[in-house]
Amino acid sequence: MDEIILRVENLKKNYGKREALKGISFEVKKGEIFALIGPNGAGKTTTLRIVATLLSFSGGRVEVMGLDLKKEPKRIREEITYLPEEAGAYKNLTGMDYLKFMARFYAADKHEFDEYVERAVEIVGFKDRLKDKVGTYSKGMVRKLLLARALMTKPRLAILDEPTSGLDVINSLEIREIIRSFVQEGTSVLLSSHNMLEIDFLSDRVAIIDKGEILEIGEPEILKQEYSAQNLEEVFRRLVQ
Amino acid sequence: MNKFINLLKKEIKEMITLQIVISLLFTTGLFYFIGVIAKSEIEKVAAERDVYIVDLDGSQESGLLTDNLSLAGFKVNLLEERDKSSAIEYANANNIDLLIVIPEGFGEAASQFQFKDIETYTYIRSFSISSSAGTALVEGVIGEINRYLSNNFLKEKFPDIEPENLKNPIKSRDFVIVKGKMAAGSAAEVSSFVYSQSIFVPIILMMIILYSSQMVLSAIALEKQDKTLETLLTVPISRNYIVIAKMVASGLVGLISAGVYMLGFRYYMGSLMGNIPSDGQAGELIQQLGLQFKPNDFILLGISLFLAILCALGLAIILGVLVEDLKSAQTMILPLIFLVMIPYFISMFSDINSLSLPVRVLIMLIPFSHPFIASQNILLGNYDIVFYGIIYMLVVFVVLIVIAGRIFSTDRVLTVKLSFGRKRLAKDY
Repeated sequence: MDEIILRVENLKKNYGKREALKGISFEVKKGEIFALIGPNGAGKTTTLRIVATLLSFSGGRVEVMGLDLKKEPKRIREEITYLPEEAGAYKNLTGMDYLKFMARFYAADKHEFDEYVERAVEIVGFKDRLKDKVGTYSKGMVRKLLLARALMTKPRLAILDEPTSGLDVINSLEIREIIRSFVQEGTSVLLSSHNMLEIDFLSDRVAIIDKGEILEIGEPEILKQEYSAQNLEEVFRRLVQ
Repeated sequence: MNKFINLLKKEIKEMITLQIVISLLFTTGLFYFIGVIAKSEIEKVAAERDVYIVDLDGSQESGLLTDNLSLAGFKVNLLEERDKSSAIEYANANNIDLLIVIPEGFGEAASQFQFKDIETYTYIRSFSISSSAGTALVEGVIGEINRYLSNNFLKEKFPDIEPENLKNPIKSRDFVIVKGKMAAGSAAEVSSFVYSQSIFVPIILMMIILYSSQMVLSAIALEKQDKTLETLLTVPISRNYIVIAKMVASGLVGLISAGVYMLGFRYYMGSLMGNIPSDGQAGELIQQLGLQFKPNDFILLGISLFLAILCALGLAIILGVLVEDLKSAQTMILPLIFLVMIPYFISMFSDINSLSLPVRVLIMLIPFSHPFIASQNILLGNYDIVFYGIIYMLVVFVVLIVIAGRIFSTDRVLTVKLSFGRKRLAKDY
């Protein structure tokens, strides 16, 4: 039986009177890429932020590696990493300083610290620019730096919100390949994206979410067959209509 | 602890930017430069006591008068012009600032104690400090002439009596009593000495509070603006560490900034206030009255200052939660500036104890009021009010830090924003 890394049960979130999440449930297995897809305001980012221990929730239950998110958020933070959609890095630090700064929070000793930094340098792919300040980086470079930060510790669960948002085709492809390679090494990924092609390429399973409710969960290929659709966009359109 | 140090180092690196260093050095240099100019102007005023005289009378009395001005410390320059208009022209052509004309018949009139008016011509060529000194110079010269003539008159009429005793028959001996200790001296002398010694306390405090608060507010605003806060909040470190690291870094950088800034400011103020009495006589008077800070007093004052800074940082952290970016952080600092400026100005220009009870209570409720009034109360031996102030600030700081910690441990730090005066929840979350 596959190990469950993330279990979300009947998750609810209200902003005042507005129901952002109306009781969604899903699971993410070990070594799986699970994607949330849906239109703006569907509740994708809210879900990701709750799992990342940033937002409180109004009802339901969230477990990461069997740990109750409400009771043990600090313990959970040691096992996860989160890449927000519009995240930035500290502009006055160099790329290397930023990676080292982040690695120190996770590394138990010097050996582990060196291992994390070395891995991050491999992921970013622009070693020669790591001595420059982050403020001088292009958007693609910052995104790679942040992805390297999110994956360098080989977290049990990486939460990636629109990981290729605003990037060109080449950078997007590189980032997708990096994510794929890390999953093969045991990391589970929960991600959200507007890009259905990206989801098709990356995800093992998807949850189609709209207006705070999950409409369908399944493997992309199976969903396409079920709804006689060419791609996930068609599946999504049929479900929403 | 290592994680905290890691966080603290990052905060300091983020705060000490090249722009901050340049702006700090520029401001300090500017103060130094203004101080140098002010000092040279004041020295010029003190040095220039040149007096140009046209003696149209040429009598023995007018000669004695010019001699007496020399004895009184003025540098007398006698012009050879024999009429008023050519003397004025000469003075104009030679950049002379003060011309004194002794009229014809002055000596004869003086011998009969019927004095003729002496005319003075002051040239205003700029509006600098040294140019305004012309008026004081005229007053000094005329005062000296009057003293000389009136003394001569009195000596003539009452040869057995000292003229000064006739002019000021009653003299006073001034005593000052503080904390039951008495010493010979004037209250004004004591006040100006204490003022000159303690003027920097409120200025330093105000600078540090404002610098540090601005730093901590900007630090949170920058985290939000650059979208780094969310990532930081998901790393395995206590949220309280995040709050404390920001406060400590802001306090340290604020302290260093204010210290460097004060170097220039102190030079500038020192140049302007070089004439405030701080000589041995005043110092002796202060010593006799016990108006000096003892080592314990410095510790007490230091605790009071430190707690005020902590309160400001705690308040700034909470205000920082409400800001969205650096621009809104600049607006959000305003309430703090007002809270610091009110007691600052009151302590500079008034005595808080002389205010009405409701106003006094209001002032005392502002935590930053306490260090402003602490220095004077320590000197006057009113330790109770200083201790109460310290306890009050400690309570306020604990309350603020608990509130800040609670905000950072919940999602309010991300969801609460202040927009056009009303609190709202971010809808896009």
